[in-house]
Amino acid sequence: MPVLLVAPAVLVVVALRIVPLVMGANYSLTGDGADNGAFVGLANYRTLLDDPVFRTALRNVGLLLVALPVAVSVPGILATFLFLRVPGHRLYRSVYFFPVVLSPVIIGAIFNVVLSFDGPANQLLVRLGMQPVDWLGDGSIAMLTVIAVHIWATFGMALVIFMAGFATVDQSLLDAARVDGANLPQTVWHVIIPELSQTIQFVFVTTMIGMLTGMFGLLYIMTAGGPGGATYLPELYIWVQQGQMNRPALASAASMVLFVFMLVVGFAQLRIIKRATKEV
Amino acid sequence: MLSRGPGRWAIAIPMALLALATLYPLLFTLNVSQKTRREYVLDRLGLTDRLSLDNFVAAWQTSGLNTYVLNSTIVTVGAVVALLVLGSMAGFAFSQLRFRGSRVLLLLILSALLIPFQVIMVPFFRILGGIGLLDTHLGLILAYTSQFLPFTIFLMTSYYSRIPGEIVEAARVDGSSTLGIYLRLMLPLGRPALLSVGILNALFCWNDVLIALLTMQSQDNRTLMVGVTALRGQYSDNIPLFASGVVIAALPVLLLYLFFQKQITDGVTAGATKG
Repeated sequence: MPVLLVAPAVLVVVALRIVPLVMGANYSLTGDGADNGAFVGLANYRTLLDDPVFRTALRNVGLLLVALPVAVSVPGILATFLFLRVPGHRLYRSVYFFPVVLSPVIIGAIFNVVLSFDGPANQLLVRLGMQPVDWLGDGSIAMLTVIAVHIWATFGMALVIFMAGFATVDQSLLDAARVDGANLPQTVWHVIIPELSQTIQFVFVTTMIGMLTGMFGLLYIMTAGGPGGATYLPELYIWVQQGQMNRPALASAASMVLFVFMLVVGFAQLRIIKRATKEV
Repeated sequence: MLSRGPGRWAIAIPMALLALATLYPLLFTLNVSQKTRREYVLDRLGLTDRLSLDNFVAAWQTSGLNTYVLNSTIVTVGAVVALLVLGSMAGFAFSQLRFRGSRVLLLLILSALLIPFQVIMVPFFRILGGIGLLDTHLGLILAYTSQFLPFTIFLMTSYYSRIPGEIVEAARVDGSSTLGIYLRLMLPLGRPALLSVGILNALFCWNDVLIALLTMQSQDNRTLMVGVTALRGQYSDNIPLFASGVVIAALPVLLLYLFFQKQITDGVTAGATKG
């Protein structure tokens, strides 16, 4: 009987998640077009490395890594203030989290208007006496713009995770720090950060996974990879090769590269899951 | 510490400004949706004093949004029901019942958390085509169910594992079958978690664009978020109408957030503090 309760779930997950992963690994070693189905070894991976668009996508993953500390520390600092009961903290938490529940498509559509060259953001800059910026049309800053919008849209997620972590901090440690006359930076450094180390680790992992796999909607609607292929990430590259270029085998190779990134990031997550399932 | 004095206010002011920065793009869009096209071209930033539903009505009637809303509703409801049924059954079995291979099967399911849809997009497309479900509501429901089931099982398993085993034992002594325990005990006891995980899954399905773009290719089958990606082209010379469409598309989620904020934040943090 217990097996019957889990069987449908196992069937769905194996048939539609695990099996496709194996199939994809297999496709990535076959050819496209005339070579459809034929074994080509690592040729697709060589094609990827020679493709300037995919190289840009990899470079942009590097950019995500650079942005990661910002995407983690901003909500961390804000959560600290909320935890210390800044006036209006409940309202702030609700407001900061709201963009998280909006689809990236909605967010992207809004920022398409806000950041268009003749849009309100530039009008504001001009009124302040500055030069307008081509936020999404300038290849050297478009990716930074999309990353910034992504962080704007998702920092509330990390914030509520931090706050849930704060709820588990031992109050007596905070009281002891106060009695000992510790100031705020000392309290944060010696009490809060050590107590929250697992939460911080979790936020790093989920934020990085969010950046690797949660930006498709923004990229699709805001830049579609442009200008000049400057705003590609692996996920968009996979989509374009599969859908528009009709090169599913090459797309599969790019999928495997993305999967390796996920494995590296997810190693930490797996440890967290294992700890959770041990309690079962 | 911060608990007293002017220091609190010195921090509250930047926090308030940030809250404003968070809301500004949304309020801006709402403001634009109220303007006429002429008003917007003349003054993009200024507050309008118009308050009318004209643009919303026009956007609703000319953009096909009604069809898209219907499609999104069908696939979201279908997928959430499937996720809650499969997720609660599996969560109950994994947390409360002893059977051979339970740990391995649970780890197998949870390991799928590391497989984002982008990674399996190509084979998934072929599998769905192979069973004749491309461009159907059922196909998209199946896609969402498989995509969000591991997360659902993770949350339901950890929720049910906090229910003392004695309760299940007592029900068994009273003569309940396993199915009876699931239906009459676990489903009612699981209501808070089912509500939370159900709302989260509804958001995931409603907000998705990648899977819907891949599997729903005919215009009649577009979901709302795919429809929004097309709005910009439709209304490239009429930004207020575009903004109206965006506001309409965001409205259901706004309402859901206003009513269920606690369930949503509880759900996303449930996995985080277990470690």
